[in-house]
Amino acid sequence: MNKLQNMTVAMILSGLLMAVGNVIGYQVDWYSSLLGVLVIIVIGLIGMAVSQVPGLNKLPMVFWISIVAIIISLPSFPGSAWVIQITKKVQFLAVTTPILAYAGLSLGKDIELFKKLSWKIVPVTLAVMTGTFLFAAIIAQFVLKWEGAI
Amino acid sequence: MDILRNWKIHLLVLIIVVMSENLGVIKYGLIILLPLLHALVLGGIISFPKFKILSTKQMEVAAGILPIAMMLLIVKIGLDIGPNLSLLFHSKGALLLQEIGHFFGTVILGLPIAVFLRMGRESIGATYSVAREPNIAIIAEKFGLDSPEGRGVMATYICGTLVGAVWLSILTGVVAKLGILHPYALAMGSGVGSGSMMAASVGSIIAAYPDMEQQIRAYAGAANLMSTILGIYVSLFFSLPLATKLYNFLSKFQSDKETVKEKV
Repeated sequence: MNKLQNMTVAMILSGLLMAVGNVIGYQVDWYSSLLGVLVIIVIGLIGMAVSQVPGLNKLPMVFWISIVAIIISLPSFPGSAWVIQITKKVQFLAVTTPILAYAGLSLGKDIELFKKLSWKIVPVTLAVMTGTFLFAAIIAQFVLKWEGAI
Repeated sequence: MDILRNWKIHLLVLIIVVMSENLGVIKYGLIILLPLLHALVLGGIISFPKFKILSTKQMEVAAGILPIAMMLLIVKIGLDIGPNLSLLFHSKGALLLQEIGHFFGTVILGLPIAVFLRMGRESIGATYSVAREPNIAIIAEKFGLDSPEGRGVMATYICGTLVGAVWLSILTGVVAKLGILHPYALAMGSGVGSGSMMAASVGSIIAAYPDMEQQIRAYAGAANLMSTILGIYVSLFFSLPLATKLYNFLSKFQSDKETVKEKV
């Protein structure tokens, strides 16, 4: 199997797991959950196809998938209202849970590497993460106020 | 990558998802624990090397599926941007300028602590960025991964993988509950350039402000997109030189910095 086929299988599989979470955690019915996930997968696959076009493949796939999703959701795009209505049924948190489950299952290999590091990296990493989040949020707060957006 | 043959991974994810969603959102005072956090921790426990449930190869398969599953989250977030485009356009200045915070916030807060802890030149690699894959590539090319800078960026990468999402989820929840910063500003802050960290952070903002859910995701998605596009260039041409300069300045105040540099 080539890389793109593998990616398609992985997308469908993780999409199904998202549908399961959507039904269990947010009391959405099976039909709406599966339909919503299917539409999300199709958009993801379109983005993946676009990212393979020669010339366009200089930018990362995540960029093209974002762009395709944004264009499809524009009010002037035909059928955008339908897409938004269908995909709204899939809760954001239901999408995140399987992703972080996969992330969790891959952590074991980092735990061994982590043991070899000095404890000093823990406070430093927490400061790095706090810094990037907090400074961006504080600047955004001031500029949003200045622009009159909030 | 034999995705289907590694059915054990998918079965475990299914079990984790069912358990995590059943637990649901848990709130203790200022702290919000989301299903995604339960899933991360449960997965982490299962993959613990001592338990021998998963082989290193199976963990690598899980790590390989992660970015692909992440694409579906990117779609979900992207679909919130279109309907909110005029709102985002109205705050284009904020979207652009907050990136300064993303790119320099790591150095401003992280570097002084790293220097204080006497990490030597590792401080530069460890704090010049959030140490995701593109940032590692930059350091590998400029210094090599055997250099102090290389060891620093790898250390933050490993530690960030383990604690980054958990920390950002809890931190964001607390900051959101304090109510000082607007949820839109927090949403932009959450676009740190790592998918799982953004998911964890955005989840906590939405849990605190459920009625602004769609706008929050639109702002986070737009900020994350900007980090993706600008990230490599800014960290190469601005963050790394800044971290190096600031390190040279701060380490002047440490009399025995040369000996420390050798030891770390």
